[in-house]
Amino acid sequence: MIETHDLTKRFGPVLAVDTLSVEIGASGLVGFLGPNGAGKTTTMRMLTGFLPMTSGTAVISGFDVFEAPLEVKARVGYLPEAPPLYPELTVGEFLRFVAEIRGVEPGRRSHRIGEVMEQVGLSGWEGRLLSSLSKGFRQRVGLAQAIIHDPPLLILDEPTSGLDPAQLVPIRRLIRELASERLVLLSTHVLSEVESLCDRILLIDRGRLLADGSVAELAEGVGAGPWVELVLDAPAEDLSVRIAELEGVETVEQLEPGRYRIRGGWGVEPALGALAGAHGWRIRSLVRRRPSLQEVFIALVGAES
Amino acid sequence: MKVQRPGAIAATCAISRKELRVLFLSPLAWVFLASFLFLSGVFFYLGIVMSGEASLRSMLANLAVTLLFCLPMVTMRTLALERRSGTLELLLTAPVPLESLIVGKWLAVMALCLVLLALTAPFPVVLAQFGDPDPGVLLTSYLGLLACCGAFSAAGLFASSLTQDQMVAGVGAVLLLLPSWLASVARDLVPVAARQPLDHLSFVEHLRSFARGVIDTGDVAWFGGVTFLFLFLTWRSLESRRWR
Repeated sequence: MIETHDLTKRFGPVLAVDTLSVEIGASGLVGFLGPNGAGKTTTMRMLTGFLPMTSGTAVISGFDVFEAPLEVKARVGYLPEAPPLYPELTVGEFLRFVAEIRGVEPGRRSHRIGEVMEQVGLSGWEGRLLSSLSKGFRQRVGLAQAIIHDPPLLILDEPTSGLDPAQLVPIRRLIRELASERLVLLSTHVLSEVESLCDRILLIDRGRLLADGSVAELAEGVGAGPWVELVLDAPAEDLSVRIAELEGVETVEQLEPGRYRIRGGWGVEPALGALAGAHGWRIRSLVRRRPSLQEVFIALVGAES
Repeated sequence: MKVQRPGAIAATCAISRKELRVLFLSPLAWVFLASFLFLSGVFFYLGIVMSGEASLRSMLANLAVTLLFCLPMVTMRTLALERRSGTLELLLTAPVPLESLIVGKWLAVMALCLVLLALTAPFPVVLAQFGDPDPGVLLTSYLGLLACCGAFSAAGLFASSLTQDQMVAGVGAVLLLLPSWLASVARDLVPVAARQPLDHLSFVEHLRSFARGVIDTGDVAWFGGVTFLFLFLTWRSLESRRWR
């Protein structure tokens, strides 16, 4: 669906996006993650044809963004960072206008408008003026206009910013749903969001692609694969050496007295249990942990700077 | 999933309708109509009631100059505000050709101008009460004004495409058109030999044929050319974003 090759954008002396090359398939939910100012919005604007690239190419559904912009635009639904609304219009008028310029057939427009309003939870709001809507509802209208033409590619720039927790759940569910039959590319700097939503993460910082993969793959990449955390009751002495002797244990690290981080294969837990039993250590907890995306993120972004 | 694209005409109409709706829902269009009608009423009184001549001839140039200063109030927001409020991103990421966007906006301003000209209908009615105006001359006078509207709104659209600041767009539009008006003022101050180039530049000179009841192809072409030139420049200005 999306194929970029050395995509680069320069604003004067500032390199906003630096030789970005990615390939993304036809469906699923891909999260574009990075700190503020990493180049997420700029990349999305180039993909939608709003901003020209300085160099490199982007191809969407086989159409080059620069060579065939109208073909690309017809296939993309786009929610910019700030939903682009006309305050003078009502929700219904605005969606009708978008349906018109998006080429939704005249006979299907009313039906489609009703459908997307229901999808984003705007039923009954047709007559409300856009200027009177709260941030959360503006965001919903923005989402509705992005999907009104049922595009095979949906690009959402921080779709959940400004939503309160109660609004967050249904919108995330909707985005997940939309991704089942199309490609959704969403940007965010909320780590938990990508972690819970996305199949694949593109991590960028200062315009460069730092990592590409699922959370687990990213974690492997920074050498932060799963580990077992063992907490023992009270023994003051460092038992690292004895734990390290167990079969399957690769490394042991004492985090604080009685608390150990142990890396190794899947057989480690029962072996640890047996060892503790044999020596009469009381186990308070024994859990297998995965690094959170936050740790991976900090490891990757931190390593760069 | 079916891929849809609007036809160029359908897109132009959609843009035009939206523009008109937004225009009339904002106070600007009403301020524009009111200020133009007030000023033209003053000119009507001074030019016709005082001179006692039953034609729009003497006031045509004055009305055109009033348009020059009033129309930017309407055109200044067309593209500058879309840029500032982020809705330009919506328009430029929709599968709408730039030509549809520009022509659609221009047509919306022209529709407003038609409303404006319709509201000046009392002038010829008053003329007919007190004199015997030539309907042909009245018609060509209105056509001349419409031609001015076309050229001025195209220039306003161009000025609005250059900035995201409405005030700059408005003042810019006036500045773009000012030379054309000043040329008609300056022609009386310069030697006869220098008049001709000034007359070419001046829209007031090109209005004279309309005011006499004549449709001069050269003058029609002049207004058409200026309109086209500014619409083309607007297109270039938006298109050039692709290369920057």
